[in-house]
Amino acid sequence: MRGIKFLVALGTGVFIGIGVSTLLSVKEATARKPFTKEDLKLMNEELMALVKKGDELWHSPKLGKNGLTCANCHPDGANSNPHTFPKFQDNVGKVATLREMINWCIKKPLEGKELPEDSEEMKALEAYAIYMYRGFPLKPGDNTREYPPVEVKSGPGYP
Amino acid sequence: MKITRRKFFRVSAGAGMAALTATAVSPFLGVVNVAEARTSKKSKIVPFRFVVVGDTHLYEMPNHRFDKTFKKAIDDILKMKPKPDFVLFIGDLAQFGKVKELEKGKRFLDRLKRAGIKYRIIPGEHDWYLDMGKTWKKMFGRPYWSFDHKGVHFIGMNSILVRDYWTARNMSPWERMLAIAELECHICGLWGVREKQLEWLKKDVKNLRPDTPIVIFTHSPLWDYYPRWNFQTEDAPQVREILSKFEKVIAIHGHVHQVVYNKTGNMVHIGNLATAWPWPYPPVELPYPKIRMLRVDPGDIFDGVGFASTFIDDTFLGKMKYETWADLIPEDIKDGVPL
Repeated sequence: MRGIKFLVALGTGVFIGIGVSTLLSVKEATARKPFTKEDLKLMNEELMALVKKGDELWHSPKLGKNGLTCANCHPDGANSNPHTFPKFQDNVGKVATLREMINWCIKKPLEGKELPEDSEEMKALEAYAIYMYRGFPLKPGDNTREYPPVEVKSGPGYP
Repeated sequence: MKITRRKFFRVSAGAGMAALTATAVSPFLGVVNVAEARTSKKSKIVPFRFVVVGDTHLYEMPNHRFDKTFKKAIDDILKMKPKPDFVLFIGDLAQFGKVKELEKGKRFLDRLKRAGIKYRIIPGEHDWYLDMGKTWKKMFGRPYWSFDHKGVHFIGMNSILVRDYWTARNMSPWERMLAIAELECHICGLWGVREKQLEWLKKDVKNLRPDTPIVIFTHSPLWDYYPRWNFQTEDAPQVREILSKFEKVIAIHGHVHQVVYNKTGNMVHIGNLATAWPWPYPPVELPYPKIRMLRVDPGDIFDGVGFASTFIDDTFLGKMKYETWADLIPEDIKDGVPL
């Protein structure tokens, strides 16, 4: 028994030692420099490509079966209220995420087939909706009103 | 427990309604005063009722959800007692301007005709840009017109004429149609009635006395609401100028698929509901924020939609009542919006 306890204690000590040194080395390794302008530009281009894909899907009848698109009821993403999710959604019957709500819209008003929630299409639709509400403070659970999106003067509504 | 949105709404509405009713009186005062001022004049108007319906956006496919809502509107109009004097269709009969869509729409409208109710019609952009109005004109005739009815001069105009955005882009008719079928089309530009119709309008009203009651129908509003969604008519200032000699003009429009009201000079403007689907309110302040519709249940195809019956009295005081199938209209304008 004593031998086992000693081994456990020794093992724990070694583990902690390795852990501390790992933490130290990780800390050094992760202390990276701020992103360069070029890095930020590339990352933003990736995001905008997803938003653009979302915009196309938002305006595409292929998500549904009756010819309708998301944009029929939500021009420029209007009234999608992405900043108010998660919230109790009475038509879903529970607290729903934005993705669950998007799927509800695809299934009911568009009479289509729900998307897998982790699909690229779903991510793109979500990205477009959120981008059209950029700058809005988060208000999870807000069922008090509908919010118009950002005011668009020209173009698709994103750079 | 299933909590419905309506139940949610009723709880919150109870508290808010008292305040709402108190403040809602003020926007009407101006209109009421106008009416009182007019009662002393000798009126030639025989009071009557007409219906405004539109934005049906019919698709080619059979038994589409928008067929059901348009059918319900027509059924309700046919049941009205007394019969409305006429029905005004305010544009966007079809979704993509296809012959089959327009034919389907005409079949619905002809039910009115068979029941002895005349209809008049103006086009919307969805009717027009597949073949530049060719089919529509063949079916319904000239897209702008006027007529007199029981002492009121009625005008209808085609307000959705844009500049050519397709030739330089080498777009097919179908691509041209798909582009403008999006409310937020950002290559289509602003639309209007344009020079030819402005000239026609000048001539049309030239010999009318300033006390002639005028009602004008256009697909889009004759004021700048939200140009991004073409909730506007580019040459509306010229239209308003031509009509400025009249004591009062009632302007009724479609396109916005929502309850909205405004006043400019001698004109009162009001938007009609669609039978197809409601548009959300744009990111601008409403000029009369109490005259609006309530939140819509997107799971109910009969919510957020409808048509309007408009009563004109002998003093040219109008009242437009939104005819809906769900709890859409706030209590204080349920009986109608004074015009």
